[in-house]
Amino acid sequence: MSQMMSQRSEAEEAKPVLTASVHDVRYFVALLRGINIANRASVTLTREGGMTVTVEEGRTLLATSYIYPDHFDSWEYNLEPTRVLSSQQSSLSKDSEPDSDSTSFEIPLGTLIECLNIFGTATFSSATAGSKSKKWRRGEHDDASDDDAGGRQRSRAPSNAPNNSRIEQYFGGGGHGKRTSMRLSYGGPGYPLTLLLAEDSTGPTTTCEISTFDPEPNIELPFDGDRTVLKIIFKSSSWLREALSELDPSCDKITFVSNPADEARRAQRAAPAKPLFRIQASGSFGSTEMDYPNDREVLETFECTHAISVSYRFGHISKTLRALQSSTKTSLRIEEEGLLSLQFLVPVPKPRGGMSDSFIEFRCLALDEGGD
Amino acid sequence: MRFRATVENVPIFFRIIQAVEKLQKKCIIKFTETEMHIICNDDANEGGTQVWSVVKIDSIFTSYRIQSNANNQITMTISTEALLSALKSSSSSAASSTIAAAILPTYDADEVVMKLAKKNDHAVLSFEMFGMSRTGRRVRVAHDVRIDVMRPADVEKLREPLCPEPDVHILLPPLQKLRTIVERLRPLSDVMAIQVNGNGKLQVSISTDTVKLETRWTGCPNPPIAREGQAQDGEGGNSHDALEKPDPEKMFSVLVSIRSFLKFLNSHVVSTTTIACICQNHCAILYVYIGEVADAGGVLTFYIPTVLDGDD
Repeated sequence: MSQMMSQRSEAEEAKPVLTASVHDVRYFVALLRGINIANRASVTLTREGGMTVTVEEGRTLLATSYIYPDHFDSWEYNLEPTRVLSSQQSSLSKDSEPDSDSTSFEIPLGTLIECLNIFGTATFSSATAGSKSKKWRRGEHDDASDDDAGGRQRSRAPSNAPNNSRIEQYFGGGGHGKRTSMRLSYGGPGYPLTLLLAEDSTGPTTTCEISTFDPEPNIELPFDGDRTVLKIIFKSSSWLREALSELDPSCDKITFVSNPADEARRAQRAAPAKPLFRIQASGSFGSTEMDYPNDREVLETFECTHAISVSYRFGHISKTLRALQSSTKTSLRIEEEGLLSLQFLVPVPKPRGGMSDSFIEFRCLALDEGGD
Repeated sequence: MRFRATVENVPIFFRIIQAVEKLQKKCIIKFTETEMHIICNDDANEGGTQVWSVVKIDSIFTSYRIQSNANNQITMTISTEALLSALKSSSSSAASSTIAAAILPTYDADEVVMKLAKKNDHAVLSFEMFGMSRTGRRVRVAHDVRIDVMRPADVEKLREPLCPEPDVHILLPPLQKLRTIVERLRPLSDVMAIQVNGNGKLQVSISTDTVKLETRWTGCPNPPIAREGQAQDGEGGNSHDALEKPDPEKMFSVLVSIRSFLKFLNSHVVSTTTIACICQNHCAILYVYIGEVADAGGVLTFYIPTVLDGDD
């Protein structure tokens, strides 16, 4: 803190490393909330890539949000080479990105989200919930015209859709067209992250200074695309969200079982079932199994090289639910060693029209079971 | 000792009690011939907040009759929660939330009579409600709320907190809005600063190791400082008189516990107009007007003492 104070005066006139503004923080907040699984987040800023926010939990789970410059109304990133040399190089360990164009710091994520929502209008209100459930129903209609396999999910979806949007309405806050707008700036290592928030021109304004910390290296969970065993793209994120939210929170283990499409079959007299893709969860009160149909309306892509069954801590997988909520499409990949990569596509409207696809990624190490 | 009145305006009475209920389990109510005083002055409550309120009898009661040896005054201690539920059952419109309205009364009382009575050798405030059930039958519901009548000698000892002359007065923005903001601050800090100047500026801020946050309103009217009881006009945007204050830009501040302040903000259910006064480094005094200021039916006065900051 004291160091921060002393630096501030000397570089008052220097250009901040980052200034950005956005007229509606809801998407920014959605991307942050999706990974709000631990308070300490590391933020990496780059010229082209925008802002990458990473959170890890228990050296097993790594959640990353990619927030691109085109999400912001304005994005100005200036990194002076001198500053890189003096303070950056020393504080960055060799593990961090080799990109010399980047700046990293750590920030209390919960605090940042709380500050952004100071007016209570930073979360999605009923308007967007409506459009979301519309998309969802469309998926369900398409599904209805196809074969019988989707029956299970289909029966569940309509009952949940209105229910869900009502809840979102209820929690939508004062969503009467009021939006929180933000101007953000970061002066460089040792400086706080400064936010200027306002709801409308007549209302109050809020200034926040959130302390930043020197970055500490996160665990690295590199996903080797060549060694992918299973790759699934859920046509709609709700197919996974529904399944996960159905599971009892007391479950302690979740297992993904998958077989190549041509080997998959239902249970017959002698042979047990070889499900195409099954989610199994077990806990002290019993276990649940859910099978997915081989249907392009549900699993847009399904590639499985050989039969696998990998387990994860349910507590970790359930942390993805918030990210699932704001996403439209999900990709699930599992690598030879059992490393899971879940990518959630989050469309963000660009300030000048059009949509930009952002995503949140979760990587999770498999439970060590020895058995398989 | 005789006391009997018809509660004409149940919603207002209900909301006043609702506003104090969060603060203290028991409160003192003093009925006089013209006023009802509700007092919360327990040291035990969070942060030493006190409430002293005065409500005109006319704005809530009709057919009001009171007699006692103590100058026709009756002072009692009463459980706020019990009083609240008695009032709640008398009217569906009193319950502000739709959930409460849905579960509670299946009848709407035409008349609520409140009287002092004795049951099983103990004083009670008895609420008798007459109404019509949904099926059209007459119903009579009675709630007895146990009370302790205070001795006149003890009543004499009740004293409003002594405060220095406030440094500055300001009209607060709608409490509902203020509450949204203060609620966000609660997980971040225990203490917040309220800063006010004579030029319509109000700031609430927190400062911790991880975050410094400051929310600022400008253009809040500063009511004239002379007589805080009546002089304000609700709209009054033109009362920026810099004459009495040497420097309208000077900020006066007080540190308060966020939890105490949130408890005060519960009074948003009664408030139309709220005026805050700052006694620099001493306390914040908040006047919550019940009903329109012009014919103010009463005022709830909250005293929130400053938190002594060890760091300064």
